[in-house]
Amino acid sequence: MRISRVLALTLALVMMASVAFAGPSYDRIMKDKKIRIGVMTDSIPGAFFDAKGEWVGFDYDITTELAKRLGVDIERVKVNNKTRIAFIQQGRIDASVANMTHTREREKSIDFSITYFFDGQKVLAKTGKYKTLADMKDKKIATMQGTTSEINVKRALKALGVANPAAHVISFQKESECFQALQMGRVAGWSTDATILLGYASKTPGKFELVGDFLSDEPYGIGLPQNDSALRNAVNAALQDMWRDGTYMAIYNKWYGPDTPFAMPMSGSLELWP
Amino acid sequence: MLRYWLEKIWVQNTVLAVLGLISLYYWGWVFDFGYDFQWPILFTVNDTYQLNFGIEILKGLWLTVKITLISSLIGISLGTALGLARLSDFKPLNWTATCIVEFFRNTPLLVILFFFYFAFPQALPEAGREILFETQFEFWTATFAVGIYTSAFMAEVIRAGLQSIPKGLLEAAYSSGLTYMQVLRKIILPLAFREIIPPLGSEFLNNMKNTSLAMVVGVADLTWQAQQVEALTFKGFEATTAASVLYLGFSLVIAFIINGVDGRIRSSSNGKNSLPVMFINFLLIPMSCLNKIFINPVARYMRQRRRVTMQAGVQVNTTQLILKKVYKTLVLISKGAFLLILAGLLFSLGKGFYNFDWSVIFRELPTMLIWQFPNATGDDLFMGLGGFSLSFIIAIVAIFASFFIGLVVGLGRSSDNRIFRIPSLLYIELIRGNPLIIVIYWVYFLIPVLFDSFINTVWSASIALTLFTAAYLAEIVRGGIQNIPAGQVEAAYSSGLSYWQTMRKIILPQALKQMIPPIVGLFIAIFKDTSLVTVLGVMELTSVTKALDNRLMIASMELWTTAAVLYFVPCLLMSKYAKRLEMKLSPEQINLKM
Repeated sequence: MRISRVLALTLALVMMASVAFAGPSYDRIMKDKKIRIGVMTDSIPGAFFDAKGEWVGFDYDITTELAKRLGVDIERVKVNNKTRIAFIQQGRIDASVANMTHTREREKSIDFSITYFFDGQKVLAKTGKYKTLADMKDKKIATMQGTTSEINVKRALKALGVANPAAHVISFQKESECFQALQMGRVAGWSTDATILLGYASKTPGKFELVGDFLSDEPYGIGLPQNDSALRNAVNAALQDMWRDGTYMAIYNKWYGPDTPFAMPMSGSLELWP
Repeated sequence: MLRYWLEKIWVQNTVLAVLGLISLYYWGWVFDFGYDFQWPILFTVNDTYQLNFGIEILKGLWLTVKITLISSLIGISLGTALGLARLSDFKPLNWTATCIVEFFRNTPLLVILFFFYFAFPQALPEAGREILFETQFEFWTATFAVGIYTSAFMAEVIRAGLQSIPKGLLEAAYSSGLTYMQVLRKIILPLAFREIIPPLGSEFLNNMKNTSLAMVVGVADLTWQAQQVEALTFKGFEATTAASVLYLGFSLVIAFIINGVDGRIRSSSNGKNSLPVMFINFLLIPMSCLNKIFINPVARYMRQRRRVTMQAGVQVNTTQLILKKVYKTLVLISKGAFLLILAGLLFSLGKGFYNFDWSVIFRELPTMLIWQFPNATGDDLFMGLGGFSLSFIIAIVAIFASFFIGLVVGLGRSSDNRIFRIPSLLYIELIRGNPLIIVIYWVYFLIPVLFDSFINTVWSASIALTLFTAAYLAEIVRGGIQNIPAGQVEAAYSSGLSYWQTMRKIILPQALKQMIPPIVGLFIAIFKDTSLVTVLGVMELTSVTKALDNRLMIASMELWTTAAVLYFVPCLLMSKYAKRLEMKLSPEQINLKM
């Protein structure tokens, strides 16, 4: 412990990227004129690296707009589905715009903004092979570890009378791994948020389709530090302003509009406070 | 004065106890972790999920134990086969074995796992795939991949052990009239086993730790379950502690058994058996009974009969002659079959490569080498450098930093003074008893807690790798120091040199020279291990490959093969270099003909 501490301390002193300050995040953001936002790297079209190696996506554009409306600079930190909550808890980032469903369990550890995106969980399968989830209850289904979709699909299987749902669900670490498992036939279906599934299905047109009804609603919220209501108010106001002046729909149509490969009609409205 | 007191055992014990109590008090009561510890999460039922996470973690442990046992069996049997094949006179067999061993030794396990899981089934016809998927495919893939990976390392250990028999001993055995089989059974194997058991033991331990990677193909092993608890409840600290303790316990059990086997082989009945040896003897009671009751009398009878026939004079037996001929033809046929299979494999491999979309590889290669350099985004370090270069930088940082820690801890570990020896021992065993992935999680959790600040994930990955490597380096240092003949130390002391003078002038210069080849080997291991820091989202080679794979989606084979080659080539070059160094530093190499 002693040695590791000395070493880590030296390293930390020499190479520290940035320092976490005590106190509410909002004051710090306004003082430094900089907000640090966690963004995913491999969620298509949420946030990903395109063919030119540039970081783009729906979530990416939302963060740009958010920072503009808060009147501060932005520093984007790469997160994945494992680190997006831990980083907020540790104070490494001020907000996490990262495909994150607002859940009560997560609410225990961090706060959330109002719902900024409406998604629902579906199942992707080979075209014409299955009609509903019930048709594939004897087969395997892929999900990502540590996500709400994993829990939802296990629940849905249990409701269909599957004795041991865990044995029918294979949980991978990455979306691409789920898709590969589906492509090679290891799993009959892959269940997660519909937008993600559409993104992958569009890569091989006609081969895969969404089947069955929505397994659940997945309201996405922006993850924020626990008990910092000034920051939460500011973020909520910014989101609502975006919706009111049409910026939100412009960004939405850029990524999910009818002409895009990920076409998905807008199914809800942001919560608007007068 | 100080030295006088420090030499007393009771002083050392007191100092250790006081230090332990102070740190216990400090970490337990004074230090503010700024973290809400909820240990009950490990033994109560969670309301949201209706799950008892403690039981889930234990289920994970059971799966880890299963994978470990089966993959060890695969490892040792395949390893023996490969080790013997590498000593074979039949060149094609020899070369194939060499290729297999070198490939698996120089490619990260993570990449191998992806390869086995995602690429291998696609090479099979539809029907074969169906059959494969009827089984517990994830479990078996993980087990086989880990087993084969281990076998490559065991093959080298076994080959080295077999080659370590002095030539003179063999000549003596042959000239005293023993047949080849007798020499193998009575001379080569018993001696080789003594040489092989300790390194083989550490391979068994590594094998156990490597099973932690099974989680990437969706096997719910111990690491996976700990991760699950973290993902569902955000109580990563508690979950990782539980996993850590369980891994450590399992390591200790394995080490105990290995010590027992080692002790049993070394000390043949000198009366004083250590606890592990007694345990192994106890386990072997049924075997030894069987031996005494059944096998020994039969063997005695057979020997008797042979002696009688020998005395009756050498007779040329026609059936024996025919059998010999049949045996020879069988060997020829199997050689031919082997060549045919090899040709078929090479052909399908070539065909696979021919069908590759090479343009993808050429287009994405620069990205895999340097990622976005020089256009950094977000919190990137080194102007967005990533991929292969970042893996290499992390490995370099880790090996240099760990060299100093390793030297200090290694000196402490070989010191006579308990104040230095016991903390060093604890550090080494604690780290070596855990898989790297667990160490990575620890550093990732603890750095923000300890310093109330956080550093870029690249650095926390480097620190984790450094701490992990230092434990192994310390053991190399200790080995190097212990290899120096005791006479030299005594001579140095009696000519009036102090401890530090002896170390600096006599021992370290010699020991360091001996340590160079294992350190190069360790560097290869670190370079491969950088693939694990992908769990923290560091954009090194494996992460970049995943990101590319995620974007392109249809060129997995091409991308992962490229990644495997990018890991393989530098590792192979370095291991060849290490071997040459070893040859240069110890010229007396004797090769045994098998």
